[in-house]
Amino acid sequence: MKILTLTTTLALAGSAAATTYPLTLTDDLNRRVTVKAEPRRIVSLLPSTSETLCALNLCERLVGVDQYSDYPAQVKNVAKMGDLYTPNIEAIVAAKPDLVLVSKYGKVSETLTQAGITVFALNPETYDEVFSKLLTLGRVVNREAAAKALVTTMARDIAKTEVLTRAAVNKPTAYFEIDPTPYSIGPKSFMGVLLTKAGARNIIPESMGDFPKVDPEFIVKANPQLMLGVDRKTAAARPGWSGLNAVKSGRVIALPVELSSSLSRPGPRLPAALRSLARLIHPELFR
Amino acid sequence: MSTGTPARAARPDRPWAAGVPRTLGLAALLVVAVILGTGLGSVTIPPGEVVGALWRGVTGQELAGNDVIVWSIRLPRVVMGVLVGAALSVSGGAFQGVFRNPLADPYLLGVASGSALGATLAVVLDWPRAMIPLSALVTALGAVAVTLALAREGRRFPPTRLILSGVVVGSVLSAASTALILRGEDRARLVLSYTLGDLGFSGWRDVLTVLPYVALGGGVLLLLARALDTLQLGDLTARSLGVPVERLRLLVVLSASVATAGAVAYVGIIGFVGLIVPHIARLAFGARHRTLLLTSAALGGAGLVLADLLARTTVLSQVGIVTTLLGGPFFLWLLRRQRD
Repeated sequence: MKILTLTTTLALAGSAAATTYPLTLTDDLNRRVTVKAEPRRIVSLLPSTSETLCALNLCERLVGVDQYSDYPAQVKNVAKMGDLYTPNIEAIVAAKPDLVLVSKYGKVSETLTQAGITVFALNPETYDEVFSKLLTLGRVVNREAAAKALVTTMARDIAKTEVLTRAAVNKPTAYFEIDPTPYSIGPKSFMGVLLTKAGARNIIPESMGDFPKVDPEFIVKANPQLMLGVDRKTAAARPGWSGLNAVKSGRVIALPVELSSSLSRPGPRLPAALRSLARLIHPELFR
Repeated sequence: MSTGTPARAARPDRPWAAGVPRTLGLAALLVVAVILGTGLGSVTIPPGEVVGALWRGVTGQELAGNDVIVWSIRLPRVVMGVLVGAALSVSGGAFQGVFRNPLADPYLLGVASGSALGATLAVVLDWPRAMIPLSALVTALGAVAVTLALAREGRRFPPTRLILSGVVVGSVLSAASTALILRGEDRARLVLSYTLGDLGFSGWRDVLTVLPYVALGGGVLLLLARALDTLQLGDLTARSLGVPVERLRLLVVLSASVATAGAVAYVGIIGFVGLIVPHIARLAFGARHRTLLLTSAALGGAGLVLADLLARTTVLSQVGIVTTLLGGPFFLWLLRRQRD
């Protein structure tokens, strides 16, 4: 199913030719943005965008990143320029970028646009957008062929994991906690899609939205066989949770920091993140 | 209340809402709120099963299935709502009385921002979740101590200085919290939900931890009710009638802060309840402080349980959002009336 969507995405992108500049596209803030020439000095204010640029072999063109960009290792040596909400505008302007990549959140775009800097907002939010926006980014930075190759590789690696999990006999019902308030993920969010692909059955119904705040009694009622994103001690200490299936059987797994960061970033590490997640949910498939 | 009409403060209790019918009415309201709060929620449980679950809980039998939801999740959450709503409302009423200012609320002396700072620290430093309320409690009481120290003039605590010190301490601590949140990467949502107030995950242990603070603070305030009545005549008159005004003010402020700090440390900063409920109680039942504090406790407890029920079952999602959404317009209306 998803493979099909990807093929269409690729087909729509046409053949991979060199980008002709000036290039005018509508970005995710619904602005018409004109990129005058191939960007050589890029500032990325979104960790997933920084990862994607490096995956397209453009790491050395980064003259600034946001403070959360920490992957790959090369990015750690790039100047940090705040983040979407508290950008270091002066540092960004001083770096003389010919392209600043932002998301649709924060207010950095207006200020920078007024300063005469080209700002492009890219905001992959759904699973499909992870790939379509990656292709758009490829066009903007004149790496269309590399972007297509990357998307194809990602799709292939995801399919490899899916083939495994599809064969799983028991798909556990799962509760995935992204924050102890508690917030969880709906099946339509891109993390929710990954959870399903990793061979779990999400207890959150689509009707609750993408990142719902969950009433604790709902989780008790659903009584999932598996809990992710919280540790067993914390879960057992919550009122009424000590008798839940997952807590009793010990299937309460706090995610390693690296996994939760790569899972929450709509970038090139998604296939690897999916594989790690599937290994946590179905260790028996990976022996 | 003397900023507006002194006549209001001296108004006798309304006869139609006095004595036995009033007590019965308020008790009934509280009971109805508790029944609704325990019976309804995001999971639908038939009434018979709810009653059965309560019976099995009280008698200590084995809890299975929905029993756990009713007895271990909903009931403590409802009881917590009653405790916190009562604590905030009683403290608010006492603050309004002691400062003779209708716009005083329990957070006047920096309890809220102190509490938020403690919670933020615990979240940002990644302490265990059980440490959040304790950290919040310590900083909340610390904030009040700082406010009192700043406001002191010898042995006196002039009301204006207290209020101004509270505002300054509150602002400084809020700024400190914000700075911490901005450094604290992706935990902002956790801090945000705390500062909005949330009764989720309140268990019996939390209820038992909060109870002593609320009982102690609220109990002392009730004992001081008569003196608060006398204080409405002005500091001078009260002194000449033998009320130790400065000591009374300090004691009221401390008791109300202890009750408030205990309440907010566990559930976060629920807005407007402490400001509004005493006003409703005053309008309905008169301004005598013993009546005012008791009726405020009942109204506040019932009100917060119902607000939390709305939060649990609608998209409003957090009880603090419900109270603020309903409280905001009321607050503005109150301001308008002050001008007349």
